[in-house]
Amino acid sequence: MTRRLTIARFLIVAAVAACTPSSQTTARTDSTGTAKSTGAATSVAGTRIAAPRTTPAGEWQMPGGDYSSSRFSDLSQITAANAVNLRASWTFSTGVLRGHEGQPLVVNNTMYVVTPYPNVSYAIDLTQAGQPLKWKFRPENSQAATGQACCDVVNRGAAYADGKIFYNLLDGHTVAVDASTGKQLWRTKVADLTRGETMTMAPIVVKGKVLVGSSGGEMGVRGWLAAIDASTGKEVWRGYNTGSDRDMKVGPRFKAFYAQDNGKDLGLTSWPGDTWKQGGGAVWGWLSYDPELNLVYYGTSNPGPWNEGVRKGDNKWSCAIMARDADTGELRWAFQVTPHDMWDYDTVNENILVDLPLGGTTRKTLVHFDRNGFGYTIDRATGEVLVAQPFVQMNWSTGVDLKTGRPNVVPEKMTAEGKNVKDICPSLEGGKNQQPAAFSPRTGLFYVPTNNLCMDFEVRPVSYIPGTPYIGANAPEKKGPGGHGGEFIAWDATTGKKVWGIEEPFPVWGGALATAGGVVFYGTLDGWFKAVDASSGKELWKFKVGSGVVGNPISYLGPDGKQYIAVYSGIGGDMGLLIAGDVAANLPYDVRERGSTLPDLGRWTSWGGMLFVFSL
Amino acid sequence: MRASIIVLGTTVILAAATAPRVVRQGPSPNAGATDSMRFVAHPDNIPPGFPSTDRPLALKNPYEGNAQALKTGAQLYVAYNCIDCHGADGSGAMGPSLADSRWHFGGTAAEVFESIYQGRPDGMPTWGGRITNDQIWMLVTYVRSLSAGKDVATENFAGATVERTGH
Repeated sequence: MTRRLTIARFLIVAAVAACTPSSQTTARTDSTGTAKSTGAATSVAGTRIAAPRTTPAGEWQMPGGDYSSSRFSDLSQITAANAVNLRASWTFSTGVLRGHEGQPLVVNNTMYVVTPYPNVSYAIDLTQAGQPLKWKFRPENSQAATGQACCDVVNRGAAYADGKIFYNLLDGHTVAVDASTGKQLWRTKVADLTRGETMTMAPIVVKGKVLVGSSGGEMGVRGWLAAIDASTGKEVWRGYNTGSDRDMKVGPRFKAFYAQDNGKDLGLTSWPGDTWKQGGGAVWGWLSYDPELNLVYYGTSNPGPWNEGVRKGDNKWSCAIMARDADTGELRWAFQVTPHDMWDYDTVNENILVDLPLGGTTRKTLVHFDRNGFGYTIDRATGEVLVAQPFVQMNWSTGVDLKTGRPNVVPEKMTAEGKNVKDICPSLEGGKNQQPAAFSPRTGLFYVPTNNLCMDFEVRPVSYIPGTPYIGANAPEKKGPGGHGGEFIAWDATTGKKVWGIEEPFPVWGGALATAGGVVFYGTLDGWFKAVDASSGKELWKFKVGSGVVGNPISYLGPDGKQYIAVYSGIGGDMGLLIAGDVAANLPYDVRERGSTLPDLGRWTSWGGMLFVFSL
Repeated sequence: MRASIIVLGTTVILAAATAPRVVRQGPSPNAGATDSMRFVAHPDNIPPGFPSTDRPLALKNPYEGNAQALKTGAQLYVAYNCIDCHGADGSGAMGPSLADSRWHFGGTAAEVFESIYQGRPDGMPTWGGRITNDQIWMLVTYVRSLSAGKDVATENFAGATVERTGH
């Protein structure tokens, strides 16, 4: 294996300059060992996390660390100078051998872990040696769900609020668990398993409401976002992503930035007949929230089926970024990233809310790295695209027209029934998939785990049968130009340029963590967990964990006042299960042949389910 | 009723020579019990997980070796979306591989029929009553044709690979 560090030479000077902190920011620890938040650490002029944490810097209470999904930690004990001394502190086996996407939470000196199906949760006491459990919760969870989940039986984590842990079960329920006792407080069915709706996403809690969505873009679902009362478990509102304005909660307060995105009942009229009823647009990715604008942001999945011939039109609002009023669920604006998608380019990837210096002023932006390969910098108040540049190698589009926000599509790469289009880049896994990026206000840079994959795409007829896949295409994948499977990059969202990149032999399917110590963390499919210099991308330290990493690192302050880094190890998800084609060794009845996309991945890792915790 | 008791008795005698018998517990069978409560003596220990051999004769594939049924079965495999769970050529995807000669619920024609007809608790839909038994048998014919000689018990990471679709 070779890993090359690619640095755009003309950018390195700018990057280093940008990384010189104008004000030193560190998390302080008071006498009780509880970290105090230092608020919005602004090191690059005009750069700021939109909604910095109001919770202690030493905790991790929601999936992305804060409402802005920055995945930035104010802790700074681990630095580029001392990261070489990192070592494994303790580990914990989840007892489950499936893809461990997502991340643990740390609240009140307790770590909360949620496993893939059957979605067991653990509360781990961090104050005692040996990290004993406070409780273990095994929810009722229908086994049938395991056959309805497209891309492994993953779970992307829980959210904490008001003494409760909230998370989704694969079989379509959301549960609330008492954080101190592990007792189930409520369990609400929100998704319909019989229509192929499963739940894998991580909720966020906004003003007493738990916001959730479902998976099923490959099962012909009709996507939605729902709000559940955090104390009673009762559904408060639900906004659909296709269908009538009424169902979509589109009213007088809706205003899309681009003319073509305004009009009556676009969620109906951009579809032929009733195809919107099974048109996908599922919400299986990440949620963000801006308290000032009171908007919740999310992306919608691909339209169903992949066979585009049965759904001519824009297919709104599949493959779109949505902004809803957090109280009422009203849709305030929407931007369709890939109209009439024909490559399975979901738009569910995270939306990172950051204020950035653009055109001489500070703009309230939303930064989104889409499956389609473009990195978007968008005005989060209006939905205007400010910057859209490729962050990976691509050939399906020549660029985004900033007058309309629409991508210019290369005709030869358009898929259709009866065609087998060769060598489309990126592949259906996207330039980036669910693995979330991180942002550091100290460097002003985004740290993005990416894929370098291409595909052939052969469309075939498909029939809608509820509860079975609704796809209609074969799309074998292969590594993209250069022969590396992925790259971990640093991205400047004000210019739309890559600052540095670390090529990896396999797609980088785990998320990123940025820290105030100037160190960025990520894990790889072949099981390396790495610390790199936030400014230069120089590798500082790495550790070979037991199984490939598809989870997202977090940082917390232990009761001993030390900074810790925690990450799941446990290969799986679409990449581990489907693409690598590997299965757990304890399944004697499934010894399938290896996939051609990553034929050698199985040499470097095997299935697992472990939490690893590191410290100096 | 009389005839069946005679048959059962014969089986007990034949089995006694080759296998341990179940140790009878409790009251003697038939003693004062109604028919529905009658203790049925079993001729053999009940082995866990082994398929029963006394399937009704009806569970016999009428299309065994029928090339046309195999071809139709391959089309049905696409039409009923089997392909998107089990992969092209049964290579495995969301659902287990059907091309590796390994079977979670048994690989005889009758067992594969039952898996399709009844569904399985980990997400395999119940197709019985939704599509015709004839179509299920054609699917059985196709599915069972995929695995001949493809058991990959050993991976040496130098061999061939298959194309696989992600979601």
